[in-house]
Amino acid sequence: MIRVVDLQKWFGKHHVLRGIDLEVQRGEVLVIIGPSGSGKSTLLKCLNFLEEYERGAVYFEDVLVGYRDVGGRRVRDHEASIARVRAQMGMVFQSFNLFPHKTVLENVIEGPVIVKRQDRQAAIELGTRLLRKVGLDDKLHVYPSKLSGGQQQRAAIARALAMQPRAMLFDEPTSALDPELVGEVLDVMKKLAAEGMTMLVVTHEMGFAREVADRVLMMDEGLVIEVGPPDQIFRSPKESRTAAFLSKVIH
Amino acid sequence: MGYTWHFQVVWDYREVFVRGALVTAKLTVGALAIGLVLGLLFGMAKNSRRRWLRAPATAYIELFRATPTLVQLVWIYYSMPILIGIQLSSVVSVTIGLGLNAAAYFAEIFRAGIVSVDRGQLDAAKSIGMRYTQAMRRIILPQAIRRMVPPFINETATLMKLTTLGSVLAVYELLHESNNLITNTFRPLEVYTTLALAFFVIIFPVIYLSRWLERAWVARS
Repeated sequence: MIRVVDLQKWFGKHHVLRGIDLEVQRGEVLVIIGPSGSGKSTLLKCLNFLEEYERGAVYFEDVLVGYRDVGGRRVRDHEASIARVRAQMGMVFQSFNLFPHKTVLENVIEGPVIVKRQDRQAAIELGTRLLRKVGLDDKLHVYPSKLSGGQQQRAAIARALAMQPRAMLFDEPTSALDPELVGEVLDVMKKLAAEGMTMLVVTHEMGFAREVADRVLMMDEGLVIEVGPPDQIFRSPKESRTAAFLSKVIH
Repeated sequence: MGYTWHFQVVWDYREVFVRGALVTAKLTVGALAIGLVLGLLFGMAKNSRRRWLRAPATAYIELFRATPTLVQLVWIYYSMPILIGIQLSSVVSVTIGLGLNAAAYFAEIFRAGIVSVDRGQLDAAKSIGMRYTQAMRRIILPQAIRRMVPPFINETATLMKLTTLGSVLAVYELLHESNNLITNTFRPLEVYTTLALAFFVIIFPVIYLSRWLERAWVARS
Protein backbone atom coordinates (compact mmCIF):
# COMPACT_ATOMS: atom_id res chain seq x y z
CA MET A 1 0.00 0.00 0.00
CA ILE A 2 2.86 2.35 0.86
CA ARG A 3 6.19 1.91 -0.84
CA VAL A 4 9.25 4.04 -0.19
CA VAL A 5 12.28 3.81 -2.48
CA ASP A 6 15.65 5.35 -1.67
CA LEU A 7 14.01 8.33 0.06
CA GLN A 8 16.42 11.18 0.74
CA LYS A 9 15.92 14.55 2.36
CA TRP A 10 18.11 17.42 3.43
CA PHE A 11 17.48 20.23 5.88
CA GLY A 12 19.93 22.73 4.42
CA LYS A 13 23.25 20.86 4.54
CA HIS A 14 21.99 18.30 7.03
CA HIS A 15 21.21 14.98 5.33
CA VAL A 16 18.27 13.81 7.49
CA LEU A 17 17.05 10.90 5.40
CA ARG A 18 19.86 9.09 3.67
CA GLY A 19 18.10 6.50 1.55
CA ILE A 20 15.09 4.83 3.11
CA ASP A 21 13.47 1.76 1.57
CA LEU A 22 10.25 0.55 3.04
CA GLU A 23 7.07 -1.30 2.17
CA VAL A 24 3.87 -1.42 4.18
CA GLN A 25 1.07 -3.87 3.37
CA ARG A 26 -2.63 -3.16 3.73
CA GLY A 27 -3.73 -3.78 7.31
CA GLU A 28 -0.20 -3.84 8.63
CA VAL A 29 0.94 -2.03 11.77
CA LEU A 30 4.50 -0.79 11.43
CA VAL A 31 6.11 0.75 14.48
CA ILE A 32 9.13 2.97 13.88
CA ILE A 33 11.61 3.33 16.72
CA GLY A 34 14.99 4.95 17.10
CA PRO A 35 16.82 7.71 18.96
CA SER A 36 15.61 11.28 18.66
CA GLY A 37 16.99 13.06 15.65
CA SER A 38 17.16 9.84 13.67
CA GLY A 39 14.65 11.10 11.10
CA LYS A 40 11.57 9.10 12.18
CA SER A 41 9.16 12.05 12.21
CA THR A 42 10.61 13.46 9.01
CA LEU A 43 10.11 10.10 7.30
CA LEU A 44 6.48 10.06 8.41
CA LYS A 45 5.89 13.60 7.16
CA CYS A 46 7.44 12.79 3.81
CA LEU A 47 4.83 10.07 3.32
CA ASN A 48 2.01 12.64 3.07
CA PHE A 49 4.32 15.34 1.73
CA LEU A 50 4.05 17.65 4.73
CA GLU A 51 7.79 17.56 4.27
CA GLU A 52 9.06 17.64 0.71
CA TYR A 53 11.67 15.03 -0.11
CA GLU A 54 14.42 15.73 -2.59
CA ARG A 55 15.38 12.32 -3.90
CA GLY A 56 13.80 8.89 -4.13
CA ALA A 57 10.11 8.19 -4.19
CA VAL A 58 7.07 7.59 -2.03
CA TYR A 59 4.24 5.59 -3.57
CA PHE A 60 0.80 5.46 -2.02
CA GLU A 61 -1.25 2.74 -3.67
CA ASP A 62 1.23 2.84 -6.56
CA VAL A 63 0.81 6.59 -7.11
CA LEU A 64 3.88 8.78 -6.69
CA VAL A 65 3.33 11.25 -3.83
CA GLY A 66 4.18 14.92 -4.30
CA TYR A 67 5.63 14.84 -7.79
CA ARG A 68 4.53 14.14 -11.32
CA ASP A 69 6.33 13.41 -14.50
CA VAL A 70 6.51 16.11 -17.17
CA GLY A 71 8.40 14.94 -20.23
CA GLY A 72 10.80 12.82 -18.20
CA ARG A 73 11.41 15.53 -15.61
CA ARG A 74 10.03 15.35 -12.13
CA VAL A 75 8.11 18.46 -11.03
CA ARG A 76 6.09 19.26 -7.94
CA ASP A 77 2.57 17.95 -8.29
CA HIS A 78 -0.49 20.22 -8.37
CA GLU A 79 -1.63 21.28 -4.94
CA ALA A 80 -5.02 19.67 -5.49
CA SER A 81 -3.47 16.25 -6.23
CA ILE A 82 -1.20 16.47 -3.21
CA ALA A 83 -4.20 17.40 -1.06
CA ARG A 84 -6.15 14.45 -2.45
CA VAL A 85 -3.40 12.01 -1.44
CA ARG A 86 -3.13 13.58 2.01
CA ALA A 87 -6.86 13.20 2.55
CA GLN A 88 -6.43 9.43 2.24
CA MET A 89 -3.77 9.30 4.96
CA GLY A 90 -4.83 10.36 8.42
CA MET A 91 -2.16 11.94 10.58
CA VAL A 92 -1.93 12.30 14.33
CA PHE A 93 0.62 14.74 15.75
CA GLN A 94 2.66 14.82 18.91
CA SER A 95 1.15 18.18 19.87
CA PHE A 96 -2.44 17.20 18.85
CA ASN A 97 -2.93 20.35 16.73
CA LEU A 98 -6.66 20.50 17.25
CA PHE A 99 -8.22 23.67 15.88
CA PRO A 100 -8.66 25.77 19.06
CA HIS A 101 -11.42 27.97 17.65
CA LYS A 102 -13.66 25.01 16.92
CA THR A 103 -15.45 22.60 19.23
CA VAL A 104 -14.49 18.93 19.29
CA LEU A 105 -17.31 18.00 16.92
CA GLU A 106 -16.51 20.93 14.60
CA ASN A 107 -12.90 19.77 14.51
CA VAL A 108 -14.01 16.31 13.45
CA ILE A 109 -16.51 17.36 10.76
CA GLU A 110 -14.25 20.04 9.27
CA GLY A 111 -12.58 17.61 6.86
CA PRO A 112 -15.73 15.81 5.69
CA VAL A 113 -17.69 19.05 5.22
CA ILE A 114 -15.02 21.34 3.77
CA VAL A 115 -12.70 18.94 1.96
CA LYS A 116 -15.05 16.13 0.96
CA ARG A 117 -18.09 18.43 0.67
CA GLN A 118 -20.16 15.88 2.51
CA ASP A 119 -23.63 16.74 3.70
CA ARG A 120 -23.30 18.47 7.07
CA GLN A 121 -25.89 16.30 8.80
CA ALA A 122 -24.22 13.12 7.59
CA ALA A 123 -20.86 14.46 8.76
CA ILE A 124 -22.28 15.21 12.20
CA GLU A 125 -23.58 11.66 12.44
CA LEU A 126 -20.23 10.26 11.38
CA GLY A 127 -18.38 12.60 13.75
CA THR A 128 -20.61 11.68 16.67
CA ARG A 129 -20.08 7.99 16.00
CA LEU A 130 -16.29 8.42 15.82
CA LEU A 131 -16.21 10.48 19.00
CA ARG A 132 -18.19 7.80 20.76
CA LYS A 133 -15.64 5.28 19.54
CA VAL A 134 -12.78 7.25 21.13
CA GLY A 135 -14.82 7.78 24.30
CA LEU A 136 -15.59 11.47 23.89
CA ASP A 137 -19.32 11.39 23.26
CA ASP A 138 -19.84 13.67 26.25
CA LYS A 139 -17.43 16.32 24.87
CA LEU A 140 -18.93 17.04 21.44
CA HIS A 141 -19.53 20.74 22.02
CA VAL A 142 -16.53 21.47 24.21
CA TYR A 143 -13.54 23.50 23.03
CA PRO A 144 -10.16 21.71 22.94
CA SER A 145 -8.65 23.97 25.61
CA LYS A 146 -11.07 22.45 28.13
CA LEU A 147 -9.82 18.90 27.47
CA SER A 148 -6.95 16.94 28.99
CA GLY A 149 -4.06 15.99 26.71
CA GLY A 150 -5.32 12.45 26.40
CA GLN A 151 -8.79 13.65 25.43
CA GLN A 152 -7.33 16.10 22.91
CA GLN A 153 -5.29 13.36 21.28
CA ARG A 154 -8.30 11.06 21.08
CA ALA A 155 -10.28 13.88 19.48
CA ALA A 156 -7.43 14.36 17.01
CA ILE A 157 -7.58 10.67 16.14
CA ALA A 158 -11.33 11.01 15.52
CA ARG A 159 -10.67 14.05 13.31
CA ALA A 160 -8.24 12.02 11.20
CA LEU A 161 -10.60 9.05 11.01
CA ALA A 162 -13.45 11.27 9.84
CA MET A 163 -11.78 11.50 6.44
CA GLN A 164 -12.10 7.68 6.28
CA PRO A 165 -8.42 7.33 5.47
CA ARG A 166 -6.86 4.18 4.09
CA ALA A 167 -3.86 4.50 6.37
CA MET A 168 -3.03 6.33 9.58
CA LEU A 169 0.27 7.98 10.45
CA PHE A 170 1.03 8.53 14.13
CA ASP A 171 3.88 10.89 14.96
CA GLU A 172 4.82 10.26 18.59
CA PRO A 173 1.15 10.45 19.63
CA THR A 174 1.81 9.98 23.34
CA SER A 175 5.09 11.85 23.83
CA ALA A 176 3.43 15.07 25.00
CA LEU A 177 1.12 13.33 27.44
CA ASP A 178 1.31 12.95 31.19
CA PRO A 179 2.14 9.31 31.96
CA GLU A 180 -1.29 8.53 33.37
CA LEU A 181 -2.95 9.65 30.10
CA VAL A 182 -0.85 7.56 27.74
CA GLY A 183 -2.92 4.39 28.23
CA GLU A 184 -6.21 5.83 27.01
CA VAL A 185 -4.66 6.96 23.71
CA LEU A 186 -2.84 3.66 23.18
CA ASP A 187 -6.11 1.81 23.82
CA VAL A 188 -7.79 3.69 20.99
CA MET A 189 -4.86 2.90 18.73
CA LYS A 190 -5.01 -0.80 19.66
CA LYS A 191 -8.69 -0.83 18.81
CA LEU A 192 -7.92 0.66 15.40
CA ALA A 193 -5.19 -1.88 14.76
CA ALA A 194 -7.55 -4.70 15.70
CA GLU A 195 -10.03 -3.39 13.13
CA GLY A 196 -7.40 -3.82 10.45
CA MET A 197 -6.35 -0.20 9.92
CA THR A 198 -3.02 0.22 8.18
CA MET A 199 -0.88 2.12 10.67
CA LEU A 200 2.60 3.65 10.78
CA VAL A 201 3.47 4.63 14.31
CA VAL A 202 6.51 6.55 15.47
CA THR A 203 6.70 6.00 19.21
CA HIS A 204 8.85 5.39 22.25
CA GLU A 205 6.19 3.11 23.76
CA MET A 206 7.97 -0.22 23.50
CA GLY A 207 5.12 -2.06 25.21
CA PHE A 208 2.77 -0.92 22.44
CA ALA A 209 5.28 -1.93 19.78
CA ARG A 210 5.67 -5.39 21.26
CA GLU A 211 1.96 -5.94 21.63
CA VAL A 212 0.49 -4.37 18.50
CA ALA A 213 3.17 -4.10 15.81
CA ASP A 214 3.34 -6.56 12.96
CA ARG A 215 6.84 -5.30 12.27
CA VAL A 216 9.19 -2.94 14.04
CA LEU A 217 11.56 -0.70 12.14
CA MET A 218 14.66 0.66 13.81
CA MET A 219 16.05 3.93 12.44
CA ASP A 220 19.24 5.80 13.20
CA GLU A 221 20.95 8.72 11.51
CA GLY A 222 18.54 8.77 8.60
CA LEU A 223 18.89 5.08 7.77
CA VAL A 224 16.88 1.94 8.38
CA ILE A 225 19.02 -0.14 10.71
CA GLU A 226 16.79 -3.19 10.75
CA VAL A 227 13.21 -4.33 10.32
CA GLY A 228 11.58 -7.37 11.79
CA PRO A 229 8.77 -8.81 13.84
CA PRO A 230 8.68 -7.36 17.36
CA ASP A 231 9.70 -10.66 18.95
CA GLN A 232 12.88 -10.77 16.95
CA ILE A 233 13.71 -7.08 17.33
CA PHE A 234 13.19 -7.02 21.07
CA ARG A 235 14.61 -10.49 21.92
CA SER A 236 17.44 -10.87 19.46
CA PRO A 237 18.23 -7.70 17.50
CA LYS A 238 20.66 -8.34 14.67
CA GLU A 239 22.32 -4.97 14.84
CA SER A 240 24.35 -3.72 17.75
CA ARG A 241 22.84 -0.23 17.38
CA THR A 242 19.34 -1.66 17.89
CA ALA A 243 20.49 -3.53 20.97
CA ALA A 244 22.19 -0.41 22.35
CA PHE A 245 19.09 1.72 21.75
CA LEU A 246 16.74 -0.83 23.31
CA SER A 247 18.89 -1.25 26.39
CA LYS A 248 18.61 2.51 26.92
CA VAL A 249 14.83 2.80 26.53
CA ILE A 250 13.73 -0.43 28.24
CA HIS A 251 14.37 -0.45 31.95
CA MET B 1 -2.41 86.50 28.75
CA GLY B 2 -5.26 88.77 27.95
CA TYR B 3 -6.68 86.50 25.26
CA THR B 4 -10.45 86.24 25.16
CA TRP B 5 -11.75 82.99 23.67
CA HIS B 6 -14.60 83.30 21.19
CA PHE B 7 -15.96 79.84 20.59
CA GLN B 8 -19.23 81.39 19.43
CA VAL B 9 -17.49 81.92 16.07
CA VAL B 10 -16.81 78.21 15.76
CA TRP B 11 -20.39 77.38 16.65
CA ASP B 12 -21.65 79.77 13.98
CA TYR B 13 -19.63 77.90 11.38
CA ARG B 14 -20.36 74.41 12.76
CA GLU B 15 -21.52 73.08 9.40
CA VAL B 16 -18.02 73.66 8.05
CA PHE B 17 -16.75 71.11 10.56
CA VAL B 18 -19.49 68.65 9.73
CA ARG B 19 -18.70 69.00 6.03
CA GLY B 20 -14.99 68.49 6.71
CA ALA B 21 -15.64 65.53 8.97
CA LEU B 22 -17.65 63.84 6.23
CA VAL B 23 -14.80 64.20 3.77
CA THR B 24 -12.37 62.94 6.41
CA ALA B 25 -14.63 59.94 6.96
CA LYS B 26 -14.87 59.28 3.23
CA LEU B 27 -11.09 59.40 2.82
CA THR B 28 -10.63 57.10 5.80
CA VAL B 29 -13.16 54.51 4.68
CA GLY B 30 -11.89 54.51 1.10
CA ALA B 31 -8.26 54.21 2.11
CA LEU B 32 -9.18 51.56 4.65
CA ALA B 33 -10.86 49.42 1.99
CA ILE B 34 -7.88 49.68 -0.35
CA GLY B 35 -5.43 49.14 2.50
CA LEU B 36 -7.18 46.03 3.83
CA VAL B 37 -7.49 44.23 0.51
CA LEU B 38 -3.98 45.05 -0.69
CA GLY B 39 -2.58 44.59 2.80
CA LEU B 40 -3.93 41.03 3.03
CA LEU B 41 -2.50 40.21 -0.40
CA PHE B 42 0.91 41.74 0.32
CA GLY B 43 1.00 40.23 3.80
CA MET B 44 0.36 36.73 2.44
CA ALA B 45 2.79 37.27 -0.42
CA LYS B 46 5.48 38.25 2.06
CA ASN B 47 4.90 34.94 3.88
CA SER B 48 5.16 32.96 0.66
CA ARG B 49 7.91 30.44 -0.01
CA ARG B 50 7.97 31.67 -3.60
CA ARG B 51 10.60 34.32 -4.10
CA TRP B 52 8.82 36.00 -7.01
CA LEU B 53 5.89 36.71 -4.68
CA ARG B 54 7.90 37.49 -1.57
CA ALA B 55 10.43 39.87 -3.07
CA PRO B 56 8.05 42.43 -4.62
CA ALA B 57 5.81 42.39 -1.55
CA THR B 58 8.78 43.06 0.71
CA ALA B 59 10.01 45.83 -1.58
CA TYR B 60 6.59 47.46 -1.62
CA ILE B 61 6.19 47.34 2.15
CA GLU B 62 9.66 48.73 2.84
CA LEU B 63 9.31 51.45 0.21
CA PHE B 64 6.08 52.78 1.69
CA ARG B 65 7.22 52.48 5.27
CA ALA B 66 10.53 54.21 4.65
CA THR B 67 9.27 57.28 2.78
CA PRO B 68 7.16 60.15 4.17
CA THR B 69 3.44 59.77 3.62
CA LEU B 70 3.14 63.38 2.51
CA VAL B 71 5.75 62.84 -0.19
CA GLN B 72 3.87 59.73 -1.36
CA LEU B 73 0.62 61.66 -1.67
CA VAL B 74 2.16 64.57 -3.51
CA TRP B 75 4.11 62.20 -5.75
CA ILE B 76 1.01 60.23 -6.74
CA TYR B 77 -1.01 63.39 -7.39
CA TYR B 78 1.56 65.07 -9.60
CA SER B 79 3.09 62.04 -11.33
CA MET B 80 -0.05 60.16 -12.38
CA PRO B 81 -0.87 62.55 -15.28
CA ILE B 82 2.69 62.16 -16.53
CA LEU B 83 2.98 58.39 -16.01
CA ILE B 84 -0.46 57.15 -17.05
CA GLY B 85 -1.92 60.28 -18.58
CA ILE B 86 -4.84 60.52 -16.17
CA GLN B 87 -5.41 63.51 -13.93
CA LEU B 88 -7.05 62.14 -10.81
CA SER B 89 -9.10 64.47 -8.67
CA SER B 90 -7.35 65.36 -5.47
CA VAL B 91 -9.86 63.39 -3.38
CA VAL B 92 -9.39 60.21 -5.44
CA SER B 93 -5.66 60.70 -5.51
CA VAL B 94 -5.40 61.13 -1.74
CA THR B 95 -7.69 58.15 -1.12
CA ILE B 96 -5.55 55.94 -3.33
CA GLY B 97 -2.33 57.31 -1.86
CA LEU B 98 -3.43 56.76 1.72
CA GLY B 99 -4.78 53.33 0.76
CA LEU B 100 -1.47 52.28 -0.76
CA ASN B 101 0.32 53.63 2.28
CA ALA B 102 -1.98 51.85 4.72
CA ALA B 103 -1.61 48.61 2.73
CA ALA B 104 2.08 48.48 3.67
CA TYR B 105 1.28 48.74 7.37
CA PHE B 106 -1.71 46.40 7.22
CA ALA B 107 0.44 43.88 5.33
CA GLU B 108 2.83 43.75 8.27
CA ILE B 109 -0.09 43.28 10.67
CA PHE B 110 -1.55 40.46 8.57
CA ARG B 111 1.85 38.83 8.14
CA ALA B 112 2.69 38.95 11.83
CA GLY B 113 -0.78 37.66 12.71
CA ILE B 114 -0.49 34.71 10.34
CA VAL B 115 3.02 33.88 11.56
CA SER B 116 1.84 33.96 15.17
CA VAL B 117 -0.43 30.95 14.56
CA ASP B 118 1.32 27.71 15.45
CA ARG B 119 2.86 25.91 12.47
CA GLY B 120 1.16 22.69 13.54
CA GLN B 121 -2.21 24.19 12.64
CA LEU B 122 -1.27 24.39 8.98
CA ASP B 123 0.13 20.84 9.10
CA ALA B 124 -3.10 19.58 10.67
CA ALA B 125 -5.24 21.39 8.10
CA LYS B 126 -3.15 20.00 5.24
CA SER B 127 -3.21 16.52 6.73
CA ILE B 128 -7.00 16.36 6.38
CA GLY B 129 -6.62 17.31 2.73
CA MET B 130 -7.10 21.08 2.82
CA ARG B 131 -5.52 23.23 0.16
CA TYR B 132 -3.52 26.26 1.27
CA THR B 133 -6.31 28.76 0.66
CA GLN B 134 -8.82 26.58 2.50
CA ALA B 135 -6.45 26.23 5.44
CA MET B 136 -5.94 30.00 5.51
CA ARG B 137 -9.61 30.84 5.35
CA ARG B 138 -10.93 28.16 7.71
CA ILE B 139 -8.09 27.57 10.17
CA ILE B 140 -5.27 30.14 10.16
CA LEU B 141 -6.98 33.51 9.58
CA PRO B 142 -9.79 33.00 12.13
CA GLN B 143 -7.11 32.46 14.78
CA ALA B 144 -4.83 35.20 13.49
CA ILE B 145 -7.51 37.89 13.24
CA ARG B 146 -7.96 38.00 17.00
CA ARG B 147 -4.34 38.95 17.37
CA MET B 148 -4.60 41.42 14.50
CA VAL B 149 -7.54 43.47 15.74
CA PRO B 150 -5.76 45.69 18.30
CA PRO B 151 -2.89 46.75 15.98
CA PHE B 152 -5.39 47.02 13.16
CA ILE B 153 -7.50 49.51 15.10
CA ASN B 154 -4.45 51.56 16.03
CA GLU B 155 -3.45 51.67 12.38
CA THR B 156 -6.95 52.86 11.47
CA ALA B 157 -6.62 55.70 13.97
CA THR B 158 -3.30 56.66 12.42
CA LEU B 159 -4.85 56.53 8.98
CA MET B 160 -7.63 58.87 10.07
CA LYS B 161 -5.08 61.37 11.34
CA LEU B 162 -3.10 61.11 8.11
CA THR B 163 -6.13 62.30 6.12
CA THR B 164 -5.21 65.83 7.25
CA LEU B 165 -2.34 65.60 4.75
CA GLY B 166 -5.00 65.90 2.09
CA SER B 167 -5.20 69.63 2.86
CA VAL B 168 -1.92 70.05 1.01
CA LEU B 169 -3.63 68.89 -2.17
CA ALA B 170 -6.68 71.07 -1.50
CA VAL B 171 -8.93 68.27 -0.36
CA TYR B 172 -11.68 69.78 1.74
CA GLU B 173 -11.20 67.56 4.76
CA LEU B 174 -11.25 68.84 8.34
CA LEU B 175 -7.89 70.61 8.36
CA HIS B 176 -8.41 72.32 5.03
CA GLU B 177 -11.89 73.48 6.02
CA SER B 178 -10.43 74.78 9.27
CA ASN B 179 -7.70 76.73 7.49
CA ASN B 180 -10.28 78.36 5.26
CA LEU B 181 -12.40 79.18 8.22
CA ILE B 182 -9.47 80.89 9.89
CA THR B 183 -8.91 83.17 6.94
CA ASN B 184 -12.55 84.23 7.28
CA THR B 185 -12.75 84.58 11.03
CA PHE B 186 -9.18 85.31 12.18
CA ARG B 187 -9.72 82.93 15.13
CA PRO B 188 -6.97 80.29 14.65
CA LEU B 189 -6.83 79.32 18.31
CA GLU B 190 -10.53 78.50 18.59
CA VAL B 191 -10.66 76.77 15.24
CA TYR B 192 -7.60 74.59 15.78
CA THR B 193 -8.70 73.73 19.29
CA THR B 194 -12.04 72.60 17.95
CA LEU B 195 -10.33 70.69 15.17
CA ALA B 196 -8.15 68.80 17.64
CA LEU B 197 -11.16 68.08 19.81
CA ALA B 198 -13.10 66.80 16.82
CA PHE B 199 -10.37 64.28 16.05
CA PHE B 200 -10.09 63.31 19.68
CA VAL B 201 -13.81 62.66 19.94
CA ILE B 202 -13.71 60.40 16.90
CA ILE B 203 -10.46 58.57 17.56
CA PHE B 204 -10.31 58.13 21.31
CA PRO B 205 -13.27 55.72 21.51
CA VAL B 206 -11.66 53.66 18.76
CA ILE B 207 -8.36 53.41 20.63
CA TYR B 208 -10.22 52.68 23.82
CA LEU B 209 -12.13 49.89 22.09
CA SER B 210 -8.89 48.33 20.90
CA ARG B 211 -7.44 48.38 24.40
CA TRP B 212 -10.62 46.87 25.80
CA LEU B 213 -10.70 44.10 23.18
CA GLU B 214 -7.06 43.30 23.83
CA ARG B 215 -7.67 42.94 27.53
CA ALA B 216 -10.85 40.93 27.07
CA TRP B 217 -9.16 38.46 24.71
CA VAL B 218 -6.04 38.09 26.79
CA ALA B 219 -8.23 37.33 29.78
CA ARG B 220 -10.11 34.63 27.88
CA SER B 221 -7.18 32.68 26.44
